[in-house]
Amino acid sequence: MATTAPVIDASELTKRYGDLAAVDAVSLRVEPGEIYALLGLNGAGKTTMIRMLLGMVRPTSGQVTLLGERVRRGHDEMWSRVGYLVETPAAYPELTVVENLAVVARLRGLTDPRAVGAVVERLGLSAYAGNRAGTLSLGNAQRLGLAKALIHRPDLVILDEPANGLDPAGVAEIRALLLDLAREHGVSVLLSSHILTEVARLATRIGVIDHGLLLKEIATEDLASLARPRLSVAARDGDRVAEALRVAGLVASADGDGYVIEDERAVRRPDDVAALLVAAGCPPTRLVVTQDDLETYFLKLVEPR
Amino acid sequence: MRAAVAVEALKMRRSRLPWLTVLALSVVALVGGLFMFILADQQRARAMGLLGAKASLVANEADWAAYFGFLAQANAVGGMVVFGLAVTWLFGREFSQGTAKDLLALPTGRGVIVSAKFVVGAVWFLVLGGYVYLLGLAIGAALGLPGWSGVLAVAGLGKLMATSVMTTLLVAPVALAASAGRGYLPGVGFMIAAVFLAQIVAALGYGHVFPWSVPALFSGLAGPEREQPGVLGYALVLLVGVGGAWATASWWTRADQDR
Repeated sequence: MATTAPVIDASELTKRYGDLAAVDAVSLRVEPGEIYALLGLNGAGKTTMIRMLLGMVRPTSGQVTLLGERVRRGHDEMWSRVGYLVETPAAYPELTVVENLAVVARLRGLTDPRAVGAVVERLGLSAYAGNRAGTLSLGNAQRLGLAKALIHRPDLVILDEPANGLDPAGVAEIRALLLDLAREHGVSVLLSSHILTEVARLATRIGVIDHGLLLKEIATEDLASLARPRLSVAARDGDRVAEALRVAGLVASADGDGYVIEDERAVRRPDDVAALLVAAGCPPTRLVVTQDDLETYFLKLVEPR
Repeated sequence: MRAAVAVEALKMRRSRLPWLTVLALSVVALVGGLFMFILADQQRARAMGLLGAKASLVANEADWAAYFGFLAQANAVGGMVVFGLAVTWLFGREFSQGTAKDLLALPTGRGVIVSAKFVVGAVWFLVLGGYVYLLGLAIGAALGLPGWSGVLAVAGLGKLMATSVMTTLLVAPVALAASAGRGYLPGVGFMIAAVFLAQIVAALGYGHVFPWSVPALFSGLAGPEREQPGVLGYALVLLVGVGGAWATASWWTRADQDR
């Protein structure tokens, strides 16, 4: 019978260092096959949260259950179903890519001799298989880190900033890989990132974390409803634009070399605004409807309180 | 455990550590051979000034007994430095190179990984002890040292290996320092402090109850007239070894791994 229990169930997780709460009563659940992204600025508490999930840091209070088993000291067998990458990827520099992976394979008790070769191919590391890890570029070192996390085909993958150091092609590749893992193989993924656009394209759910607090959880399908459309206009004679819009009863705010109008009438009928400006003798040089992106929404959420 | 030991052995084998430790202890054996070479001819010893005087401090005459004694003494002090640096590397590198975090959430427990490091270190240190002995035999034979006997050779091996075992036990806390200090420097600092204090405490006459002085006293570094450390001294050495290993494993298992 298929399990419907959450793969990650963190309850009221808190980590305090003296008076500082690095993570403050965070509760979150990740369902099977879900890609959950922890989104936050540097120092928001993402890595501390991930280290608590992985049993590396003991919570001051609260508890974590992964794949139905409570994370506790000495419960080492549970890690055979979990893959992870925490912060900057590291490898033994004097060992080759294959040897580094063989080290992980042995410590994970893998018996399939093809495991190393398969993950090398999957992560696009074949050309570097015999290279010493110390000579890898940052991007390939990141691939090696991901290969170490995926070598044992885990049911749950926890990745801290997985796109760090990758070029745009690499980012797209890793995105495709994680999506494939989740959609085709039912692997659950929790990742942290500060790359907003990437998270929006990858995650099924986003948890915004700031100053150790989980501020909001957003399903990616709801992102569209959070975005506010705006009309951005510019013309050669900016003053005349402002005057024409004011006379037409449209509230506009200056934005760079033009103006931004949030009035629904203008956003729905930008052609009317164009006609208005032409009639006022200041034909638009730019007229574009934009939407608040996740970045704007996110920055508003985490702005100093 | 076998997998963890194999992994640690691979990491050590592919590093420069084996060659550097062999080189360091080869120098020890060669310097001993040089002293014997000088002492074999007193005229030559005096002609060589300070070096001759130093050689005279090591032994009064050049023979197998003196050379085996020198090897054990040098292994007691030099081994502390060499083994201490090796243990610092074994543990401190995981933090300096950021690889420790990849060892913390695996089906192979952290205690097993720490134990594997100690096993690999201990085996290598014993191999090094054997290597110094064999190199010493070759150097002594090449010099044509007098006074050879089978009994003496076995006793020399026993003393050398005993100092190796004691030194191996005494560097266990270096692992804790390198781990808790998350890098090389704390381990090196601990080792230097231990070697320095061992000299001071031994000179003050309390070496028999200061574990890090025990191998030197046992090997006769303080002179044949000084009494041997005794049961308490050896027990303290064992306690330092077992306690250091336990504390290191405990730190890896219990401490917050937040860096």
